[in-house]
Amino acid sequence: MAMNFTVSISNPPLVALLAAEHVKGSVQVSVAEGKETQFHVSDEIQFNDASSISRYLARMAPALGLYGANIMEQTEVDHWLEFSAQRLCCQPDLAVALGELDKVLSLRTYLVGHAITLADLSVWAALKSNKEWPSLGKSFSHVNRWFSFLSSQVPFIAVGNKYASNKAPVNKS
Amino acid sequence: MPMYQVKPICGDDIKIDLPTCMYKLPNIHAQQGNSCTPEHALQNGEVDPAVKALEARQDEIMRKLYELKAAVEGLAKTVTTPDADLDLTVSSSLSSKSSNATTFKGTTDLDTLLGKDLGALRDIVINANPAQPPLTLVVLHSLLCQRYRVLSTVHVHSSVTSVPPQLLSCLGPRHADSYARNMFQLGFTLIWKDVPNLQMKFSIQNMCPIEGEANVARFLFKLLAPYPSDPALATLIDSWVDRAFFQLAKCSGKEKATVLQALNSSLGRNPWLAGPEFSLADIACYCCVLRNGLTSSLPTNVQRWLNSCENLGHFGPAKLLLQ
Repeated sequence: MAMNFTVSISNPPLVALLAAEHVKGSVQVSVAEGKETQFHVSDEIQFNDASSISRYLARMAPALGLYGANIMEQTEVDHWLEFSAQRLCCQPDLAVALGELDKVLSLRTYLVGHAITLADLSVWAALKSNKEWPSLGKSFSHVNRWFSFLSSQVPFIAVGNKYASNKAPVNKS
Repeated sequence: MPMYQVKPICGDDIKIDLPTCMYKLPNIHAQQGNSCTPEHALQNGEVDPAVKALEARQDEIMRKLYELKAAVEGLAKTVTTPDADLDLTVSSSLSSKSSNATTFKGTTDLDTLLGKDLGALRDIVINANPAQPPLTLVVLHSLLCQRYRVLSTVHVHSSVTSVPPQLLSCLGPRHADSYARNMFQLGFTLIWKDVPNLQMKFSIQNMCPIEGEANVARFLFKLLAPYPSDPALATLIDSWVDRAFFQLAKCSGKEKATVLQALNSSLGRNPWLAGPEFSLADIACYCCVLRNGLTSSLPTNVQRWLNSCENLGHFGPAKLLLQ
C-alpha cells in the first residue's frame, strides 16, 4: 500500500523529500505535486510539516537508522531538526548558527553518529534552500566540506535537481 | 664473669686540659670498679626488668593494633557489600520512593537505555533562563524521581543576578544523602543562566549540547517510558510537542486559536492527545496552555482534557513555578 505524499510546489519540503528518497527501497510512497504539503497516513492522522513527515518516514524504515541508533542519537537528531527549522532560516542569525554548526562538524563526518541521519538531511535541506548560504559558505570550511560531501551523493543530487531549482526563499517547517 | 680482659690502651692518669664550656662525661676508657655491665648480664641469660617492661608494652600495643585492624575490616565489609546492615538503612530510605511509581510502565534499566555504566553518575545538566522556566522539565523531573534515585541540584550562574525563590526550590528539598553520589542512578542539575535557548549537556564525549526545551523533554520522557512502537503514533506525539512549543507558546492569537481548535477535534476522538495513553504530547501541551494562561473560554473537549490532566496530580511542580 503506497502512502500519499503531496508536495507544495512553491515551498517544497526538501528534508521530507530526501527522507522519502532514502527510504524508497523499503517504504512505498507516491509523491504528487500540489498546493500544500500533506502526508496522508490514515483518515485520522495526517502530517503537514516537514519535520513530522521526515520523522514518520525514518521510523517506517528503522533498519536504515535515519533516526539514530539509541536514545542519545535520537535526541541529537531532534536537536538538529529544530536547529535547521528555527535557526537556519532566519537571516540575521545565520552566521552565528553556521559558526556553531562549523564547530560541531570540525570533528565529524556526519552530524550524528557515523552514518547518515535525519540531522544531515534537515540541515542540508535548510542550507540548500537558504539564499544566503552560497555567499557565506566559504568562511565555514567544515560546513562547506560536509555540504559538498553530501551534495555529491545520489539522493541529494536527485532531490536537488528536481526541487531546489525552484529557488524557494525559505524552507519553513 | 668477663670472658676477655683487655688491658687499657693507655694509662688512666693522663691529664688533659678540658675547656670549661663543655659538659663533663665520665671517661669511657677508665676501668669501672663494678665490671658487671648490662651487656654482660644479657650474655649470661639475665634480663633487665626495664627491658622486660618495655617488651610487655610493645606486645600490648601490637595486640591493640590487631584489634583495631579487625574492627576496620569489619566496617569496610558492611559498607561495600550490598546486603549489609549499614547499607540497608541508608538505601532503603531512597528506594522506598520508587516502589509506588505507577504511571509509566516500561524498562527501568538505565544501562539498556543509555549504554554501559561507566562508574560515574549520569548527570543531566540543564541551562535554563529564569525568564522562561521550563515547566515540562520540572514535571518530568518529578516523574523521574518516582522511578529512579535522582540527585537533583539547582544552581545560579553568575550571568543571572537574582532568581525568585520558587525557582531555586523547584526541584524539591535537598536530598539528605546528597554527599553519597554513588547511591544515585541519575543526576539532575538545573542551572539558571542567561541563555537565549534552553540547553542540555549530557554525555558530552559523544553528544553535542542539545538545545530547546522540546528536545530535552523528549529525551527525559524516553527515560520514563518508550515511545509507541507504531511510527504514526510516535510521530503524532512529536508533532504535538512541536506545535505546543512553536505555536501555542510563541505565535500570534490567530495561530493559537487554530491549534486550540485542532486540540479540540483531536480530543473529541481520543481521551488523550496521542490516543488511549497519556504521553509527552499531553505534558507539553498542558504546560504550554498553563504558561500562556489560556484557561478561560476553552473549547469543551480541551476543558475536559485539562481537568483529566489535573486529576493525574503530576503538574504540581509546574504550578508552583508559575506563582
